[in-house]
Amino acid sequence: MTTDDAGTGRELGARELAVAAALALAVVAATAAFPAVVDARAAYEIPVEREASAGDLAEPTGDAWESVETVHVPMSSSGAAVPGGSDTTVESVRVAAARTDDRLYVRLSWSDPTANASTDSLRAFADAAAIQLPVSSDSRPPIAMGSTDDRVNVWYWNAADGTESLLAGGAGSTTEIPESAVETSATHTGDRWTVVFSRSLSSDRANVTDIDSDEDANAAFAVWEGSNGERSGQKAVSEWYYFSLGQSDGASPYETVLWAVAGIAIVLTTLVTVEGIRRTRGE
Amino acid sequence: MYEGSDEPLRPMENADWGPNWDEDEGAGEYPNSYYFYLPRICNHCTHPSCVEACPRSAIYKREEDGIVLVDQDRCRGYRYCVEGCPYKKVFYNAQTKTSEKCIFCYPRIEGEGPEGEVRPPSCAEDCPPQLRHVGFLDDEDGPIHKLVNEYEVALRLHPEYRTEPNVYYIPPYAPPQTSESGETVDAERIPRNYLEELFGERVNDALNTINRERDRVRQGEESELMEILSTVNNDDQYRLEVFDDDD
Repeated sequence: MTTDDAGTGRELGARELAVAAALALAVVAATAAFPAVVDARAAYEIPVEREASAGDLAEPTGDAWESVETVHVPMSSSGAAVPGGSDTTVESVRVAAARTDDRLYVRLSWSDPTANASTDSLRAFADAAAIQLPVSSDSRPPIAMGSTDDRVNVWYWNAADGTESLLAGGAGSTTEIPESAVETSATHTGDRWTVVFSRSLSSDRANVTDIDSDEDANAAFAVWEGSNGERSGQKAVSEWYYFSLGQSDGASPYETVLWAVAGIAIVLTTLVTVEGIRRTRGE
Repeated sequence: MYEGSDEPLRPMENADWGPNWDEDEGAGEYPNSYYFYLPRICNHCTHPSCVEACPRSAIYKREEDGIVLVDQDRCRGYRYCVEGCPYKKVFYNAQTKTSEKCIFCYPRIEGEGPEGEVRPPSCAEDCPPQLRHVGFLDDEDGPIHKLVNEYEVALRLHPEYRTEPNVYYIPPYAPPQTSESGETVDAERIPRNYLEELFGERVNDALNTINRERDRVRQGEESELMEILSTVNNDDQYRLEVFDDDD
């Protein structure tokens, strides 16, 4: 190999590198520009569909929900220290969320062949569902009902008694917040419960989550199967998820990193190939 | 609270179950069948398992007098206490959707009874033969301390549950057995092993003590124990001043 040849090789390499880098950038840019082309949802994200008006979002079977992305959230027993704390039946919940300028709508739907809507006898327990939010929306309290210094709000629905807004600072401390602003609507059809929870995003009440309309909001979900005697800590629960209310319409940082790695891999592969071809030619 | 109504109270038609449904059921064979009453209220246990069973501390034991109460504002109707009481003395109210239990008539004890007076719990005051005593176990001048700790004739029901009930029973007494011809036989009518099942081994000593004291009275002697057990003087039966916080 002469000095000149080596110089030509470096020039070729630099040219190829520029092409590869451009290609890699294009991949990352495409990801940012066309989130719908690739799956843009990050782990634990509940995308929030932005609607100009509420339409029939308050209805569990409202048409407005058809265009809203649904997330399948896996559920497991809370393992709370109550009898049967590990004995739950609901294994997943479908969660969808939409918002208007001032109101958040969350639809939960889960399989339950038995509609238990009565607590009128000693052993009758009602089906129920809940959404838990941190009181201070930027924190992530202990998942089991928060803690004394990091409290949670719970939007609670029960097939027998309707809606409650609850405050908790640790297991066993759940207390009803009077004059709940949470509204629910529920239906049991085709072996499924579908429940829509809604509340105005902002709140100026003490101990009530003020949901910032352009910040992601943490949330966790719980479901009780009445026919299995589920109540209190005997419930199926999710991990912490978040409603993506933030302004970024593009891919999540997590996804951008992945695509950037892919771009760098393309550059490296191209360089290795170029070098391989050069050696094969004996340059 | 019962609000009252224009409808007079009448027996339920075609009832097939209700509170106390199976209570008046004797046992044994004629002519030596037997029965006795065992009125059961909440035992206001020293270690109440209903309190332990509640995951949200809606049941609590009052520090001042040990009365066990369900906070109706805290109760969310989970019913763990109903399952958790081995004496089955917590009940679920399907109307209020909360669990309820005997409150030992605490308003009466606190002076908010009829006419604003301090009164014993209704179960004691309304007992036709006035068989109940109310007071503190550690009130050494009171009858309960004497019956439980001195004479050891007042016993806990099912002490093996180990919740340490604060209701004590004088074990039931029945006439001896009779032969088919009606002659009295020297054999107890209520099987002793059944009483042991209810009150534990100590029922034997208790019954022996009561027997001995009864004999003394029969022979014209004085018996403090029999005096305590047969008094109908409310001042002796109810030591309600011990509940007064100001003491």
